[in-house]
Amino acid sequence: MKKILAQAMKEFRLFRRDKLLILLAVLMPIVLMLLAGITGTLRLRNVALLVYDYDNTPLSRSYLETYGASLTFRMVPSMPRESPERALASWRGRAALIIPLNFERDFLRGAEPTVQLMIDATDSNAATALGNYADSLNTAWALKSGIQRPPAKGVVLEQRLWYNPGLSDRVYFGTGGLGLMLIIFPALLGALTTAKEYETGTIIQAYASSLTAVQWILGKALLYVLIGLVEFVLCFVLGLLVFEFRFPTDPTVLLVATVFYLLAGVFFGMMCGNATGNQSAAIQAVQMGSFLLSLLLSGYIFAIRNIPVQIRWLSSFLPATHYIQIVRNSILRDVGWRTSFMPLVLLVSLALAFFAVNVLQMRKMQFKG
Amino acid sequence: MPAFIRRYLALLAKEVDQLRRNRVLLIQLMLPPTVVLVIFGYALNPKVRDLRVGIVDESFTTESRELIDALTENVNFDVKHVYSRVEEAEAALKSLELDLFLVIPADFSRTLERGQTADVQVIVDAVDANTAQIAKGYLEMALEGYNSGNIAGAPTGARRRLLLVNATHPAPPPGVPDVQSAYIYNPGLVTSWHYVTGVMSIIMFINASLVASALAVKEKETGTIEQLLMTPAQTGEMLMAKTTPVFAVMMVVLFLSLIVGMLVFGLPVRGAVWLFALAGALAALAGIGIGVMVATVSKSQQQAQLLTFFVNPPLTLLSGATSPIENMPDLFQKLSYIDPLRYMVTIVRGVTLKNAPWSALWPNLLALTIFSIILFSISAWRFRKQ
Repeated sequence: MKKILAQAMKEFRLFRRDKLLILLAVLMPIVLMLLAGITGTLRLRNVALLVYDYDNTPLSRSYLETYGASLTFRMVPSMPRESPERALASWRGRAALIIPLNFERDFLRGAEPTVQLMIDATDSNAATALGNYADSLNTAWALKSGIQRPPAKGVVLEQRLWYNPGLSDRVYFGTGGLGLMLIIFPALLGALTTAKEYETGTIIQAYASSLTAVQWILGKALLYVLIGLVEFVLCFVLGLLVFEFRFPTDPTVLLVATVFYLLAGVFFGMMCGNATGNQSAAIQAVQMGSFLLSLLLSGYIFAIRNIPVQIRWLSSFLPATHYIQIVRNSILRDVGWRTSFMPLVLLVSLALAFFAVNVLQMRKMQFKG
Repeated sequence: MPAFIRRYLALLAKEVDQLRRNRVLLIQLMLPPTVVLVIFGYALNPKVRDLRVGIVDESFTTESRELIDALTENVNFDVKHVYSRVEEAEAALKSLELDLFLVIPADFSRTLERGQTADVQVIVDAVDANTAQIAKGYLEMALEGYNSGNIAGAPTGARRRLLLVNATHPAPPPGVPDVQSAYIYNPGLVTSWHYVTGVMSIIMFINASLVASALAVKEKETGTIEQLLMTPAQTGEMLMAKTTPVFAVMMVVLFLSLIVGMLVFGLPVRGAVWLFALAGALAALAGIGIGVMVATVSKSQQQAQLLTFFVNPPLTLLSGATSPIENMPDLFQKLSYIDPLRYMVTIVRGVTLKNAPWSALWPNLLALTIFSIILFSISAWRFRKQ
């Protein structure tokens, strides 16, 4: 134990001397979490809608008003003599609404006038949403102008949106962001310090010392886990202030999970450092292995079940998958140990697996030396 | 041959040698456009499917079963379990076994027979707001179909019946306008195209900056920068020699990622390829500029890499590569104009998916050019200063 502490103290002294590193390690998670949480919303608003009103009658204008009044669309006048295709190709709008000549006449005759909506589908997700939204605006207009009676309601759906009644994206991205931040930085720091020992050759001193592999690894990890805990507290406070986090009634499971999550991150980073022995390669490995995969496959942006089965299994091997679930369980759903137990077990086993790889790597080296 | 070209070539030979021997760096450069691009294209999928539905049917009548069938007909719903008590379903939702559940009250069919409105409760785990919203939409549409088909006296024409099969919307009565949506540029609504084009641009930029900063700082760390500074070579020549191989490799990466996009995801290239190449070259230059700039302010690789890690994510997030810029708060929308990556993403999508007219592309190209010139000049100036 004493040796572990001594090793941790040595790491701390090295770390303290690097002012920039301290600043980055503390500041970066907050800034990144804020940015990711704020920019990462999936709800559309203020979408530029080009308007081509060839009818130009009171009725067509009242139809357009429905679109203009919605938060999703922002009306943009079309340029004379410019085709909607060309305007869309030039990013002047994301969709173009074309009201044909005789819109009012057809309407009064009882024929269904056709209104065309051209949607730029380069972002297919947004395009589908816009198409559906236009459909419902169309119905809304018909109801408002009294030509369509609301459907006779036989069955009414009473909806209860649990845990997030406002359907806010922020809570979702905030909790995911917390998980993402806590895997990047500890892993990065762990990888850098380990790889540096190889680059400068000081790893030989570690072999020569009376430290065992386990002590060396734990000593190194201890400091970075502590830094990670500081980051956790900062990010959590940010979450309370900006991302509508709620304080869990039983924070114990979250705290236990955080410690193991940080350990998993640091061990993974050190594993990369050991394997490559080169700082820039180690960083790349961490970036790929922890940041990128966690970003994509941990359920941070889209639910894990949306991922095709062929690569979905990968997500169970990511600590972030389990941790983000525990975070959301504790902070948003406020369910305690019972629900979070399985993810916690998986998280702990991942941390242990990474640790075991570290020990093996160190042992192998020591015999070779 | 003028002396500066000779010196440049000599330095270039040294850099190429070093780069060739640096296997790790080469892998580092080649992996992202292939593996990462494919994972990104497949993994980022906003299409919600396999929603786990629980059912509490307290009515247990033919009518209630019909309703359940109508509501869960959607392929995206997967009925997990039928519970006999609400508490059981609640517990299942709490332990994440379900995404939503329906409760049909005991007096459901009696209420309907009396001609009154029956309430059905649906409880959704809304932590994932996006998924919850979509699930809600599916249910509402299915219910609309059920209501319009089920209620006696509702008009049923041929068209209506057809739409009911789709279980999407009931046909509006005559006179109501019909919105026809045309999805141009991507009529098949392929999700991956959007992400693949975005990630392609990100890779160009981030990789260039990471590698450039690693190379530039390495000389400093190993102390060989002093040797370089003592040679007759000018700093400008040095910088050029250092960045030329990175630049060349980045261009290979650019086309590699385009080919991967075309082969794996069927990405169309509808515009001029030279514009794509030009934008890629400018983005690589801007990326290298940022990388070298970062390298000049940091003392070690550790610091340099962390700094690039600090600089790159904001650029990525603001570029509109993954989430639409219109969705962001106004301040962030304005900030996105000073993000060179934004222009790169626009051009790449304009060339591949849209075949955008030149009049729309040139402002983006101009902005990207200005940014790469500025970034590269600052980096040259900083490099000289040290």
